Amino acid sequence: MLCLVAILFPFISAIAILEGVKAQSELSVTEGADIFVTMDMFGRNGVIPIEMAAAMEQIDGVTKAVPRAVGRIYIGNKLAVLLGIEGDEKPPSVNFIKGSLPKAEEVVIGKGLAKHLGLDVGDKLNIGTRVVAFLEGEPYIIKKIFRVSGIFDSQSGIWASNLVLMDIYDAVSVFEMDDFATDISLHVRPGYDEAVSKSLQKMNPYFRIQTKGLVKTYIDRGFNMKGGVFAVLYVVAFALTIPAILVTSGFGLSERRKETGILKAAGWQTHEVLEMVFFENIMLALISAPAAFVLSFVWIKLFNAPFIAQIIIPGAESIAAFPVPSKFMPMPFVFSFFFALLLTMAGSIYSTWSAAVVSPVEAMK
Amino acid sequence: MITAGIRDQGLGVSEKELIRCEGVWKIYNEDRPHEVQALADVSLKITEGSFTILGGPSGSGKTTLLALLGTMDRPSRGKIFIGGKDITALSDTALASLRRGSIGFVFQNFNLIPRLSAWENVSAPIVPVESKEKDRRDRAVGLLQKFGLAERASHTPEELSGGEQQRVAIARALVNDPRIIILDEPTSNIDAEATAVLIDILNGLKAEGRTLLVSTHDQVLRPLADAVFELKRGRLSG
Repeated sequence: MLCLVAILFPFISAIAILEGVKAQSELSVTEGADIFVTMDMFGRNGVIPIEMAAAMEQIDGVTKAVPRAVGRIYIGNKLAVLLGIEGDEKPPSVNFIKGSLPKAEEVVIGKGLAKHLGLDVGDKLNIGTRVVAFLEGEPYIIKKIFRVSGIFDSQSGIWASNLVLMDIYDAVSVFEMDDFATDISLHVRPGYDEAVSKSLQKMNPYFRIQTKGLVKTYIDRGFNMKGGVFAVLYVVAFALTIPAILVTSGFGLSERRKETGILKAAGWQTHEVLEMVFFENIMLALISAPAAFVLSFVWIKLFNAPFIAQIIIPGAESIAAFPVPSKFMPMPFVFSFFFALLLTMAGSIYSTWSAAVVSPVEAMK
Repeated sequence: MITAGIRDQGLGVSEKELIRCEGVWKIYNEDRPHEVQALADVSLKITEGSFTILGGPSGSGKTTLLALLGTMDRPSRGKIFIGGKDITALSDTALASLRRGSIGFVFQNFNLIPRLSAWENVSAPIVPVESKEKDRRDRAVGLLQKFGLAERASHTPEELSGGEQQRVAIARALVNDPRIIILDEPTSNIDAEATAVLIDILNGLKAEGRTLLVSTHDQVLRPLADAVFELKRGRLSG
């Protein structure tokens, strides 16, 4: 049973974390802007002039247009998300532990990053932009120095842990794309999404317009694919373990074989022995699946999913600095039961049957 | 056919034939290298309610013959009749039914299931026919009580002595209330004290009118026997 729990536990945990991350992503989108606008660059998202935000704000139904510069950077050996946003803006679902919003040449960093780099409010942070040359084999990197003006509470979500928030003009300077944002996010009055989208398309046919619904669809599709790929990989791994189990428990003169012989000698019919094994396997699956579920729940909710979160969430440490999101759904539990049943059946039915169809004397040898 | 082994001790043994072997052979790996002839042309009769001893040195075929008479294996040649029915013509299913209804077997090494308690071992044969666990337990504990093991009902085999394990195995053989009890070398794995208890139990079973078939090369059980058959190199002698 312990083997079964050990096999099922990572599966249930991984699916629960994937569902949790998905739910948090959807929440971020729900709380965030209604429309995201970028330029079309040969079918991909391209940068967009910051000045277009002012023009977009004039469209009927738009309440606010916020240019953003978003990208991934390495700070030391740590991968972080850099978000440049106008001075008085703050990303949704993010709360301060201490400090204030960044002014020019200031940053607010996530608690995870602050802990990793040993930084506090008032400290200086070097952010490299790009390698401009190699001097005697060593990369020569242009660096900008920022003052840490605040620290985010990583309780607010996995995104905040490794986030670096700065003024948009500092961000575009780091990314070396002066006067351009990666996107402009628009907040619109309820029911105006379609009209605003049409106006935007009329304003510039090269705009790529992504509504909140579309982003949610992308998220769903992405996570479903990730979850599906994970489940398929797990099933394949499972299938590969079955022959191993058959070899180790099925063909040898195991205790089960002798036990089958004893029962047959006592007058049991072959079908009765098989029914008993089937019933035992169902009981085993019924016990091990909930046990794995409970263990997974405790591991994630109480201990914050050490060693598992880092596999599922890129950039997470072995002991995550943020509360690992999770959502326990009924389907993985049902799958776990059937996985457990399949595994126990594969490991026992053949060996039992092969012992049950020979004479008791033969089976007990 | 050897019937001369029967000796009347005035114990009320009926003369009704219960088991009959006719020219039974058992050959392992027949027509292959390492062929072993375990039994050769064995013919015998056992009457109902008798205490029969199957004697002979180690390797003489006693256990093989008991397995055949206990319907746990099939002869290579020859016929075996139990209650007038030719069991060599029966299907595996019918043989299992016959074992369940009529035969209790006590193995030389007891063959208790290690993960089960004493009462669970005793009740194992009736699990498919008695669905209520309480009834099974009552029946098993009743038998264990009869053999002085009521206190040990919840112990696993490894927590029992050799003599206790044997009594659990005898209780298991009796749980279906069979008319034939077969014991393979019952004194080989127990001490003198346990042997004395065993003799009492066997006397009790005989008094109940059960047919006892015991293989042994130990002389201590001989006085109990109504009939003695000697096997030598797979053949009956004497």
